[in-house]
Amino acid sequence: MSVLLSLLAFPGGLFVVLSGLGYEWLDRKLIAQFQNRIGPRWFQPGADILKLLFKEEIVPRDAHAWFFIGLPLVALAAALTAALYVPMAGIEPAFSFPGDLIVTVYLLSVLTLCIGVAGSNTTDRFSLVGATRTLTQLFSYEAPFLLALLGPAIVAGSWQIREIVAYAGQRWLLLTQPIGFAIAVIGLMGKLELPPFDAPEAHTEIVAGALTEYSGRGLGLFRLAKDVELVIGLTLIAAFYLGGLANPIEFVVKTVVLLLGLAGIQALLARMRIDQVVGVWWRYGALLALGQWLLLIGWEVFS
Amino acid sequence: MHTHAEVEKFVVPIGPQHPALKEPGHFEFTVDGEMVTHASVRLGYVHRGIEKATEQRTWVQDLYLLERICGICSHTHATAFVLGVEKLAGIPAPPRAQAIRVLVAEMERIHSHLLWLGVAAHEAGFDTLFMYTWRDRETIMDLLEGLTGNRVNYSANVLGGVKFDVDAEQADSIRRGLDFLQERTEHYLEVIRRDEMFLRRTRGIGVMTQAEADEFGVVGPTARASGVARDIRIQAPYAAYDAYPVNLVVEHAGDLEARFIVRVRELLESYRLIRAILDALPEGELSKKLPRRIKSGETISRVEAPRGELFYFIQSGGGDKPTRVKVRTPTLCNLASVLTLVIGHQLADVPMILVGVDPCFSCNDRAVVLKSERDEKVWAWEQLRQYGIDFYRKGKA
Repeated sequence: MSVLLSLLAFPGGLFVVLSGLGYEWLDRKLIAQFQNRIGPRWFQPGADILKLLFKEEIVPRDAHAWFFIGLPLVALAAALTAALYVPMAGIEPAFSFPGDLIVTVYLLSVLTLCIGVAGSNTTDRFSLVGATRTLTQLFSYEAPFLLALLGPAIVAGSWQIREIVAYAGQRWLLLTQPIGFAIAVIGLMGKLELPPFDAPEAHTEIVAGALTEYSGRGLGLFRLAKDVELVIGLTLIAAFYLGGLANPIEFVVKTVVLLLGLAGIQALLARMRIDQVVGVWWRYGALLALGQWLLLIGWEVFS
Repeated sequence: MHTHAEVEKFVVPIGPQHPALKEPGHFEFTVDGEMVTHASVRLGYVHRGIEKATEQRTWVQDLYLLERICGICSHTHATAFVLGVEKLAGIPAPPRAQAIRVLVAEMERIHSHLLWLGVAAHEAGFDTLFMYTWRDRETIMDLLEGLTGNRVNYSANVLGGVKFDVDAEQADSIRRGLDFLQERTEHYLEVIRRDEMFLRRTRGIGVMTQAEADEFGVVGPTARASGVARDIRIQAPYAAYDAYPVNLVVEHAGDLEARFIVRVRELLESYRLIRAILDALPEGELSKKLPRRIKSGETISRVEAPRGELFYFIQSGGGDKPTRVKVRTPTLCNLASVLTLVIGHQLADVPMILVGVDPCFSCNDRAVVLKSERDEKVWAWEQLRQYGIDFYRKGKA
């Protein structure tokens, strides 16, 4: 019974979905305010998803129908599963085992992979270009992002999210690992294809990128999966770097502060070209993350 | 799924319906990965047959029709036409009318350049700049509405003069609006010159040298960004531009950044010019009466639209209707340069380079070239008629 509850209501199902929609609204509202616009009303993201779910889904003739319908489901399922291992709302993760950090990070990457495969499944030119860019971007931010999350794991001496959070709850790792924090935040933005890392779905170039052919349910589910990932990503970073998440109030305050920073970056910067994204990640991001990682290992071994 | 030939030639179509294009035009970009190797264009989706329609309407009716060629630079079209007709009739408009024409033309330039700045920033994914410029653009739109009664298609011109006067109160509200815009524009100039992330998308992108600019025959801000000192307001002053001289704005880099800077500096120049006009508006009547029939003859009328040189050829047979009106809009001169400039650039830069010339497709579409099995470029009237008959017969069958 409790397993079913954690899968369907908290933290797995309904809770992450609803909070995902809430955070998407907050993100859009904040950017709108930064840009001197009014922004959407609170129920807009939910209304968008609901409308998409009711709409007809058109499967392109040249696409593999099973893939086309199945990929959004897999993406959402993976994102929802990841929520089970994360201290959502400041409450202990529903499931935990040694090494679940790695599993969670890979579950979070499934969404990007699914979008990439979904894009290359159709013969639409915009989808193909978008899919190439999505996967290119995946390969550029993924390694630094993982290294950034492993930083706290190394000082905590465990690769189990629950133990890392317990360790990080005692101190603000942001102060000792600022590079890791910055890379984790920017990596999350790359993962979610938020501006300035939105080259894979640049509207003015390639319409909607890999998801151009998607309409109706598939598009709705992909968007929902992105919202869920936003919450999980914010939770993970807040728990690891901002002094842990002891209770729901701390959870809300810390993730919203993070989101404020995210929205600020989105409003401030112009879109980067895909070659610039790769350049930034491999020339600076990966090297800095690796440097900090080696330093941490050295510290752990010799002290 | 792909044949070998398709893989070798991967064409990304942009348009006729595409988020980067606000108006229909069809571009085909052949890409190798992200690199553009070939580009082609097809125009004519919004051909409206306006030139032919002018021959069936009177001179006065044509004024309203031609003003609707472009939704943004409507006043320049009307100005080019009335100046030509007044030249044919031999009755120039009074000085106060000419000054008000220039006043509205410069206000229109402000509105057009601010609109462009927003659109171009949007193409670069810099939506914050887009939202801010369009918010500020409302200031000038409100001023234009207060002056003429309309936000677009101001209908300020009549044959022989202008329709309305500018009183002291209106002049004051324009000055106040300009003070606000001046401050904002100086800020935007700072942004486009200094914002590192934005410069990554504009500096050194789509470089057109002065020699290339001359070769392509580009006009307007696009040419001036490549160091070509060409501005009709200065070289062939019309209306009241000889009384209120314009300072030439020219940049030499020839890249997208230069195109941004030229247009934003032109905004500042327009503010100065409007203030100068308001401070020294000549007294006198607003219009002269023109005869219903215009003396036979032909003339050329050139004005500097926000996008560059706008060219009118007007021919009168001595009747109450023109026998021929030919319009060449600046976009037509500039568009061809895009097809060359994009080659060797990333696909991501294509919308920026395209928008960098500030294209206006419906103004541009004077003729339709259909993709056809026939090779001939020029069709005789009989051929065209036969083609129409065949086309509809085929449709019915």
